[in-house]
Amino acid sequence: MNEKFRKWLDGDIDVMENITETALEHDASREELKQLRKRLRENIWNLPGTGRIIGAERRTAQIIYRVISVVSCILLIGTLLYIVGHLPLYGVENPRATEVTKRYIEDGLKETGAVNIVAGMILDYRAFDTLGESHVLFTALVCVMILLRKDGKNMKSAYEDYFTVAQDTYFMTNKDTIIQKIGFFLVPCIFIYGIYILLNGQVSPGGGFSGGAILGAGMIIFTSAYGFDKVDKYFTLKLSGYVTFAALSFYSFAKGYVFFMGANGLENHIPKGTPGAILSGGMILPLDIAVGLVVACTMYGFYSLFRRGSIGGN
Amino acid sequence: MTGWIRFFISAVFIVTGLVSFAAGVIGNCRFGYVMNRVHAGGIGDTQGLFFIVMGLAVGEGSVMDILKLILLVVFLWNTSPVSSHFLSQVEYYTNPNLYDHMKRK
Repeated sequence: MNEKFRKWLDGDIDVMENITETALEHDASREELKQLRKRLRENIWNLPGTGRIIGAERRTAQIIYRVISVVSCILLIGTLLYIVGHLPLYGVENPRATEVTKRYIEDGLKETGAVNIVAGMILDYRAFDTLGESHVLFTALVCVMILLRKDGKNMKSAYEDYFTVAQDTYFMTNKDTIIQKIGFFLVPCIFIYGIYILLNGQVSPGGGFSGGAILGAGMIIFTSAYGFDKVDKYFTLKLSGYVTFAALSFYSFAKGYVFFMGANGLENHIPKGTPGAILSGGMILPLDIAVGLVVACTMYGFYSLFRRGSIGGN
Repeated sequence: MTGWIRFFISAVFIVTGLVSFAAGVIGNCRFGYVMNRVHAGGIGDTQGLFFIVMGLAVGEGSVMDILKLILLVVFLWNTSPVSSHFLSQVEYYTNPNLYDHMKRK
């Protein structure tokens, strides 16, 4: 038992192996099976009395379904209307809604050191929220990898790989002169702009998510212009995993330390710096970089997995 | 006086650009086939954008703003025709009944 579990952990045995083999056998006789099912359905419908029974069941199910949907709709509408009735009137002073905002606007610069209040909010006051968002991105990438990754073990035949290559060759996206020339001009500009946004998150609009999205888009344009081979040389699955893991664990430890030292990140030992300079805002700049790296890796990973089923060609 | 001349020139540019955009919008609504619609949309994306940005550049005094507007034209002229081109290319490669749309009616 223990050995088996360790084997499964190391990836030596494939849990899906038996299932795929059965699927392969069925694959050969799929047409036959389809015919059989069709005939079976016809036979069932032709039996005396079956149509009536199945029809009654179907009608009951439909009635239940409709009742449930109507009831849940009415419940949702009622809840929302009830809450709307309890909202404060527009323009009326409401301490619950204005206290926090006032604190952010008045003391945000002093407490976080970031000129951009939004960056101070999402990466200092509410940094746990952003931490969860980055982990959601990473989890989404892992789920897509589980579903779409083709690594030779889960492919039914060589046909799938052949099909991807044939598609790429047919559309000739990595031999097109137009997109290569445009990419030659655009990709450096996009990367510079993305890095600028990433590093200026605390002094101007922007930050980790937007900067990382621009970096990922630049990588996607580079890939569609010059093909996957050029990117595979430096951006492998291993590098992507290391970068994502390093960024996420750095974020978790840094923010955990700050929260541990002083409830809302005020009494930590990292200097705030001059407001308006790039090296300001305490932990905001490194956290921005971490979030941006995760977002860039996730965006390129999605593109690569959906396009050909692997990151970095393995 | 120079202010009025500048205003007039920039107004002419902007109205020309708006006419181009109007042609693009009307074409996009009127045509049924994707190639024709890409053609109509491309007019607004290149010509209309160029004229409107030129009008703004003439009406704007400072050099930095004019340089930024010119940069805008450079980037959009590089990207938007390429996207139109790839849209048409995908249509060309994937539509088996392409030649039916080319007949004169």
